Amino acid sequence: MPTTARPRTAVLAFQFLGCAYQPPAGDQTWAGQLHVVARPAAALRHAARPARLCLSATSTLRNTRQISTNGAAAAAEPYDDGTDHARFPPLEQLPPSVAGYPSPLPERALKSAKLAALHARLSLPAKLPLQTLARTLVDASADEHPNFNNSNLAFVGHTLINYHMAEYLMCRFPRLPMTVMYAAMEAYAGKKSLFNVARSWGVDAAAAPGGEVDPGLLQFVFDKPGVAMVRFGYKRTEEAYLEKYKWRRGISSRIMYDDDFGDLITKSEGIDTEAGSESDHMSYGNINTEAIAERAHANHVRAVVGAVYVHCGREAVQSFIKAHILSRTLNFESLFKFKNPIRELALLCAREEFEHPVARLLSETGRASRTPVYVVGIYSGSDKLGEGAGSSLVTARYKAVMNTLKAWYLYSPKEHVRVPSDMLIEGAKPWEPVYVDIGEIIAN
Amino acid sequence: MEARLLRRPAASCCFRLLSTPSSATALTTTTTTGRLFSPASVSLQNTTPGAARHKSTANRTKRALSVAPHTSFISESAGEQANRIIFNPPSSAPSVFNTPFKFLPKSDPRRALNPAALFAKSKTIKYNNTSSDASADAADPSELPVIGKYVGKQHHLTLEDVEEMRRLRREDPVTNTVHALADKFKCSRNFVMMSTTAPREHTERHFNRLDAVKARWGPGRAAAREERKRRLDMLFRGEL
Repeated sequence: MPTTARPRTAVLAFQFLGCAYQPPAGDQTWAGQLHVVARPAAALRHAARPARLCLSATSTLRNTRQISTNGAAAAAEPYDDGTDHARFPPLEQLPPSVAGYPSPLPERALKSAKLAALHARLSLPAKLPLQTLARTLVDASADEHPNFNNSNLAFVGHTLINYHMAEYLMCRFPRLPMTVMYAAMEAYAGKKSLFNVARSWGVDAAAAPGGEVDPGLLQFVFDKPGVAMVRFGYKRTEEAYLEKYKWRRGISSRIMYDDDFGDLITKSEGIDTEAGSESDHMSYGNINTEAIAERAHANHVRAVVGAVYVHCGREAVQSFIKAHILSRTLNFESLFKFKNPIRELALLCAREEFEHPVARLLSETGRASRTPVYVVGIYSGSDKLGEGAGSSLVTARYKAVMNTLKAWYLYSPKEHVRVPSDMLIEGAKPWEPVYVDIGEIIAN
Repeated sequence: MEARLLRRPAASCCFRLLSTPSSATALTTTTTTGRLFSPASVSLQNTTPGAARHKSTANRTKRALSVAPHTSFISESAGEQANRIIFNPPSSAPSVFNTPFKFLPKSDPRRALNPAALFAKSKTIKYNNTSSDASADAADPSELPVIGKYVGKQHHLTLEDVEEMRRLRREDPVTNTVHALADKFKCSRNFVMMSTTAPREHTERHFNRLDAVKARWGPGRAAAREERKRRLDMLFRGEL
């Protein structure tokens, strides 16, 4: 048996640095060397806002930012935790009053490395100032004041993204059924995918919002969603009965009343506020916090789009949306769900005056084996419309029929279609009408 | 029967002994069904191990196993050999993003172009965008076996017929079942179910009986039924 040498252990002097006794985190009444400032943000959130901008000029700078001595030990030396300040200088020297604000002051945006990096990473035009980019990162739940949060920009961005999405989908796949169209809209421009876009941009969330936080971090709170109008639609008067009596919510009424993804407009946007406030103490990592985080990230992306539009105009925002949202890959084939595909295809062929579709066995292998494969084709007259393979004749026929229907629905005039907003560009070629389908086979 | 053909090489002598009338019938049935269902069955039969490995010499075996090249690679003259397009894509499931010609709208430019007609005379290029297998399309589709019967709409029943059907179903739903009425009036069961209703007591009795049957299912059978339903759902969602 091979022997192994014992590892040498040594304690070096620098490992003791900063290992002196520190009070437990919750104990704020201890002798007082370390006192983390409890943010008075909640108390000051509703304080008068106009005085905010001149505060930083009048207040004096202090050496310590977040760690300050309490009143009794104010004259004593600041606590030295052994940090080499020459090597790790304090990040930013802030007046203590900034902690009173719910979100960072606009002028601090110019000094934030994170914000500058985000601006450069997204290749945003120089016309878009850092202050606006900083404002896109403040959610309505962090700062309720509409002049300082991103809700207005997010609403502009929301309408722009959804408009460009919808016109692209309608021109690219003119035969998509409305339910699939809604699913595609959600998959491109919904909360979850915009959350992923924000994460891919490298946007990090602050642990808690406040005036002292780096303005390059996304700021939102989990315990209350805040008031932000970032959807468009009507609140149905019969909303209470829809759930109670299982009332039908047809596609036409969804187009009329509901939001851009065909979802019901509710008061809380799907976030259970009551449950959120009850489970405040465990406000990390449940379904509600996930929804709130997704919404905050999505609203940030929408606000950036809105900011690009506000500062740089229509063409810039169109190319920005195309680059960041439309360019994402979506497998349209997987969005379909059929109920009775054979009947649907028969109705389609009857409507379009094709011959009745007939399923024919093209080839098979291993009929008597454990893993047979049948290939079935769908013929209308002598024209083949589609084919599918399956392990039984019934499965193969269903698959062939579903593939045929998908081939109908996923008809596309061409890959790079012109959309109506392309006509707004100077010197655009004359408009050629796009293909408009007559409608769905089976109306829902 | 087909499993017997795909035996291991070590059992070849047994196969030779078994090549008596009984297994010969097995062979013929296989080939006939193969000819019906699989257009490529002629070449398949030659390359099955059972048929091909029984040549007397190595040279004959090698020749029997050799597969003819694709038609794209065969050409008569040297000039043609030098200047042509080889179109021999690997076999794969057709994509639903290739719209069949029949599904193209009137305004689509592809309809005017009609590439299938353009390449119809070409020996090397087989333009068929909805097929994985060119040989399957070469066969006449009317010869391929049909799955599922379709009678077509007949519209032969009058209002009086439907009234009569309703009366029969109402008066004696036990004798005049949906199947029986469909057979009697020569219409589909769906039509019978659409146009008639059984008395409530009969329906209740029927469903009670069904519930009693379901209650007798053990855990295995119940789970199997549940899974079957879920598999169908998955199939309709395109996950299978």
